[in-house]
Amino acid sequence: MTTTQDLLGGKVALVTGATGGIGLAHTAAFRAAGADVYAHARHESASLSDLESRTGAHGITRDVATPEACRALVRDVVAKAGRLDILVANHATMSMAPLVEADPTEWWRVVDTNLLGNYALIQETVRVMREQGGGGRIVVIVSEWGVIGWPDATAYAASKAGLISLVKCLGRELAPEGILVNAIAPGVIDTPQLNVDAEAAGVSLTEMHAIYAQDIPLGRIGDPREIADTAVFLAHPQLTAMAGQIVQVNGGSTRGRV
Amino acid sequence: MGQAITRRLTSLGMSVAGLDRAESPLCELSYAVDVTSADEVARAVNDIEAKLGAVDVLVTTAGHYESTPLTDVTDEAAHRMLRVHVGGLLACAQAVLPGMLSRGSGSIIAITSELAVGGGDRDSHYAMAKGAIIGVVRSLAAEVAASGIRVNAVAPGPTNTPLLPADSPWRARDYLDTLPTRALAEPEDVAVCVEYLVSDATFTVGEVLNPNSGAVI
Repeated sequence: MTTTQDLLGGKVALVTGATGGIGLAHTAAFRAAGADVYAHARHESASLSDLESRTGAHGITRDVATPEACRALVRDVVAKAGRLDILVANHATMSMAPLVEADPTEWWRVVDTNLLGNYALIQETVRVMREQGGGGRIVVIVSEWGVIGWPDATAYAASKAGLISLVKCLGRELAPEGILVNAIAPGVIDTPQLNVDAEAAGVSLTEMHAIYAQDIPLGRIGDPREIADTAVFLAHPQLTAMAGQIVQVNGGSTRGRV
Repeated sequence: MGQAITRRLTSLGMSVAGLDRAESPLCELSYAVDVTSADEVARAVNDIEAKLGAVDVLVTTAGHYESTPLTDVTDEAAHRMLRVHVGGLLACAQAVLPGMLSRGSGSIIAITSELAVGGGDRDSHYAMAKGAIIGVVRSLAAEVAASGIRVNAVAPGPTNTPLLPADSPWRARDYLDTLPTRALAEPEDVAVCVEYLVSDATFTVGEVLNPNSGAVI
């Protein structure tokens, strides 16, 4: 947040999918708030190196296509950092297809990566947080499409809606021990992911932005920084009463309870 | 709650003016005002704008709580509940909106309640008023977002303030044990939510934040 450069000093954070559009912003925001950040990416890249040198985050690479790989990632971070206080479960994959034509292998790849993978990531993180004591914060990045659905996005929406229910359960299950689990449901955000949507709609990226902005009361799509600042808010040490909640950051498009 | 919010906004470098029936000692300017009176609120806002400049942020926390079984709620009690909570928000919003609209920026934050979201027994008229606030927030958010004004709400659960008496059932251990966090919300929880909505929530519109100890998930 704006005023608090040492807000998260001494805390270790893991951001998954850190070289994606929103992941880059999470990494920068948590570093700016003073956390020691482990920035996960699938593989080494110029983008990851640049993120490390720009923010001082530690890059950590692993393909998290399986639940076991997600658990191993958490163990990697703890082996290096000695602890884990904040998880930003941000990684996701997506593809779009009408339901009847959807390839079952691809459909399940999206659901398994997003839902089963993050489930395992959170499970291993909770084991670590429980063992070290003192609670922790888990912020799960879901999606507006997991709230209101979207044509041709059944796999992605199913995975994100599943994560919403998971967060609600874990809000109840883990808050008694001080591990606060909450989610952010971003609306349309200006990330490279929108190229997928534009391709599916057969329009240019700029046209895609304008089409989405038409349906957003604020009149524009969002910036990744706006999601990252919300994640830092949910990790604020003095925010002690937020558990199992879904914060919708979408320019006003839904205006409804999740 | 108002004091915690005032301290936090002051720490952000903002000048804070307080409207309350009583004095607001932490505020730079303090107005003894009944928020159900649109005229009194408008006069106070005019004076604030003359002394401190444009109002960039409105936070409405005024309210009172009563627990009454539905069949015992009098027309007077229901009327007053709506006038204070919804009328207070409307009067304050109507007083600050012209300036915000002319500048094309502003942030309005209404404090509602977990009881508006989840309800509670013997809370019908309180929840009715707090729920109406959420309706106003979502509608006004849609109405003024394109003009650069963000409208959001915070819906705290039972909070550790002096308004909650020592013998309140919400302070009883067996109630607290039903809460996922096992503790009341602190005024600082609400203040952190307000700071976020004021400072960082630039793409958050028509949203209700729920620092309610997990009472309603």
